[in-house]
Amino acid sequence: MSLNLEFVFRVLVFPGFAFVLLFTMICDWVERKIEARMQNRIGPTYTGPAGILQPFADFVKLLTKEDIVPLDTKNFVFRFAPILSFSIFVFAFLFLPIDGANVILNSSFEGDLIFVLTLVSVANFFLFLSGWSSTNPYSAIGATRVLTQFLGYDIPLFILALAPAFLAHNLSISAIAVNQRFPFALLIPWAFVLFIITLQAELEKDPFDVPHAETEIVGGYETEYTGRRLAFLKLAKDVQIILGAAIAVELFLSGPYGPVFFGLPVFWYTLWFILKLLMVIVITEYLTCVFARLRIDQVLVANWKVLLPLSILSLVATIAIGLWLNPVVG
Amino acid sequence: MTSVEKKILMLLSDRLGEKILQIQTPQLGKVFVRVNAGVLRDALRVLFEENESAGISAITGVDLGKSIELMYHVRTHGTIITVRTEVPKEDAGIESITDLIPGANFHEREVADLFGVTFDGHPTQRRLVLPDSWPRNLFPLRKDAVIASIPNKLENAAVSDEDMQPSEGRTLIKVVMGPQHPALIEPEKFSLRVDGEIVKEVEPRIGYVHRGIEKAAENRTYLQDIYLVERICGICNACHAACFCQTVEAIMGISVPPRARYLRTVILELNRIHSHMLLLGHAGLEIGYETLFQYMWRDREPVMDIVEWLTGNRVIASFITIGGVRRDLKEEMIPKIKAELTNLKEKMSFYKHLFDSDPTLKMRTKNVGVLSKQDALKLCVVGPVARGSGVNMDVRKDEPYAAYDEIPFNMVTYNEGDSWARLMVRLAEIGESINIINYALDNLPSGPYRVRVPRIVPAGEAFGRVEAPRGELFYYVKSNGTAYPERVKVRTPTFANILSFVRIAEGGNVADVPASFVSLDPCFSCTDR
Amino acid sequence: MCCASLVKWARLKSPWVLHFNSGACNACDIEVVALLTPRYDVERFGILLEPSPRHADVLLTTGVVTRQCADRLKRIYEQMPEPKFVVAIGACACSGGVFEGNYNVLGGVDKVIPVDVYVPGCPPKPEAIIDGIVKLLNSAREAKLDDKR
Repeated sequence: MSLNLEFVFRVLVFPGFAFVLLFTMICDWVERKIEARMQNRIGPTYTGPAGILQPFADFVKLLTKEDIVPLDTKNFVFRFAPILSFSIFVFAFLFLPIDGANVILNSSFEGDLIFVLTLVSVANFFLFLSGWSSTNPYSAIGATRVLTQFLGYDIPLFILALAPAFLAHNLSISAIAVNQRFPFALLIPWAFVLFIITLQAELEKDPFDVPHAETEIVGGYETEYTGRRLAFLKLAKDVQIILGAAIAVELFLSGPYGPVFFGLPVFWYTLWFILKLLMVIVITEYLTCVFARLRIDQVLVANWKVLLPLSILSLVATIAIGLWLNPVVG
Repeated sequence: MTSVEKKILMLLSDRLGEKILQIQTPQLGKVFVRVNAGVLRDALRVLFEENESAGISAITGVDLGKSIELMYHVRTHGTIITVRTEVPKEDAGIESITDLIPGANFHEREVADLFGVTFDGHPTQRRLVLPDSWPRNLFPLRKDAVIASIPNKLENAAVSDEDMQPSEGRTLIKVVMGPQHPALIEPEKFSLRVDGEIVKEVEPRIGYVHRGIEKAAENRTYLQDIYLVERICGICNACHAACFCQTVEAIMGISVPPRARYLRTVILELNRIHSHMLLLGHAGLEIGYETLFQYMWRDREPVMDIVEWLTGNRVIASFITIGGVRRDLKEEMIPKIKAELTNLKEKMSFYKHLFDSDPTLKMRTKNVGVLSKQDALKLCVVGPVARGSGVNMDVRKDEPYAAYDEIPFNMVTYNEGDSWARLMVRLAEIGESINIINYALDNLPSGPYRVRVPRIVPAGEAFGRVEAPRGELFYYVKSNGTAYPERVKVRTPTFANILSFVRIAEGGNVADVPASFVSLDPCFSCTDR
Repeated sequence: MCCASLVKWARLKSPWVLHFNSGACNACDIEVVALLTPRYDVERFGILLEPSPRHADVLLTTGVVTRQCADRLKRIYEQMPEPKFVVAIGACACSGGVFEGNYNVLGGVDKVIPVDVYVPGCPPKPEAIIDGIVKLLNSAREAKLDDKR
């Protein structure tokens, strides 16, 4: 019985569902504050101390708004795509070591890196469906832009994720995180930089902000959503951001592992994980603020003509480094 | 009359001989040529052939009771020559000149809407400024129009397919931008037919902000009209007030004191600076560069402060009046203003560096929305849109008003004709405006800041031009000797520039449409009046 | 009970606005847009400018209602989900301003949709607009917000 309780606690509270939700909201606040400071403003201030409760207030307010479902939409998909997308993103978190071990203990398996990246793709597809089922021209354009951009960055993302997998000789995220005596970001910096750029595309942030181009397509795929579904759609987006950052942390920054002082590894591992995650979030948000938005055809050029060849080259370079460090015997 | 005008008059007399009914100069130094309706096209053709950079500045209609007078104001060699004719009211029709000069398209449509004149040969008969459900035979600007008979029902604004020609079997998707759209602060409707991501056709529908100002101006005194025309557009409000007052002063034959001319220059240039900064920030927002928007508007706030010190209000100045300006500039304000302008000048070099070097910004604006010099001349565009395509046109240089004949400054032109060029023109003009204001403040003449003018304006007519931030602003005022004007005609710069929207959007990317539109700096409240 | 006050707190701390111009001269509009800029920064109060009517709680309208915009304005108001509020900004939106009586002008915004707060001015300074929004939030706090569903 006690094992079951621990399981439930780990999944629902820490480091599972509640922790992920709480951390999503804190990261949303961090992003808004950074964006505000970069733009010489202050950002949310009066909702809770220093405005930290602002994302929570936004979420609660959205939950209680009137629920409008336009007549022409494809009802079932329209109603369920947001929550499905959100759930799949949260589900992917179960395979990332956060406090030194996976959320569900001993749940990692060889190849769960590919599994997690596929989950991200599937969840993105549900975001596309949410826009597509709205039958609003702006939603349709936003949804197709999500898909077009996704086709472009997905392959470089996979290839770049293979680089640390090669160095660690393992396709399991927790194994990759553990095997980094030296963070791979320092060992193969080119792959880290390219991964961050591809992450910008995956998270749909400037300069790859095209699916959310407010001034061109109103609300993009979110246009027709109100109330609860909008809350979960926005939450799905936020969870995607920290999921992407968490994958970057696990693959390149040696995950939650770091020096432990005075015992209590769970506390220290979580702390290192949070700090590294915040660092990646700060970097991506900074990049968002200093770039304009590229057009969709420019995004495609950037993905297919620049990112893809560079990611292949970086994989080759990584293999070379790996063989040099660990020459194949025999 | 200048030598250029004399030359043109001689040319017209040679070509047309007795067909010219009369040559008038109702306003000091401005030429009006009266002809019969049938001779109009020949007269205009002479003018356009004589100078390939000539263009239509405005087409004014005036209700004379039994007939409607049409005045074609042709801009040539930096001045305006007006050709006027009359058509009978019952059978108001005249040949269109859009084949001679495509830029006359919207001007003719407006006169058709408001006066009921039919232009034979015009490519379209659709409404321009009035709502679609407006009664067909009610023309508001005619003196005998009974407006009270229109019911107050809500306009049916469903997107009807009538606003675009049928697509004849091609599979094109229709995307409608507006009237509520985040890219447009103001409501206007642009119907685009797109094939994938390429725009094939554009049909603008304006008139959502049409408030009937020209008619309202006839029911208010001249002094009340100043406050009315200021609110045609809040962004360039001082220019409207200045142009109106200049025109009325020309009818009265009075000249304002030198101090007032310099103060008018100061407020007009402040208007230009804040408008250009507003637009550059808005352009940043359109291309997804929010940081640029925030920085530019942060730096724009001191300019609003200066306007507030000078006039008492941040946006709508109400500073210029007939006979001068309404309040004086205190000496102790001048160092404060100059300090703020020095700060602004430093910031401008930062923005220039940004526009020259930022890669994503250049990717979104270079070679986007290109308007060639030929097109710019044919479509009669004005302002930074024209100067960004290499056309040398600036009313402050061509026909100086206020104190511009005494203040040295440079006209800024770029030749590329793309969005980037138009934005750079405005950026450079901010620097020039700062220099103008500094010079004006340094050399501010002493003396009175206004003269008393009689309440009743003597009968007469005149027109005036001012270089507003968006281009040449044209006013025509006719007085009949009473306390109310007979006719006030306003031709705003964006009205002259709308045709260029269609030209630069067609053939380009859908994603470029907001970015190109914003580089044209549209102000639809000016357009619709 | 605490759930209801939590909801009320959330609604007051996160009012998302939509800006619509139904026939204004732009002066009020640029003062509304200036609210987002560093000097006034209304994001401090949790106010975000939303692009779609479906996401917004407060409609900021500027300008008179012209005949062509009347239907649009009504439709936008109907697309917003409850609870929603309308703030009429500027003398023209309040009553028609200098354009009252013109042939293409229906009048102030309250001829078409119900208005909660009137902010007079031509244009009102951004501080006045913020004051109007704060008054709206205060009055919403006192009124029974939950009943509006």
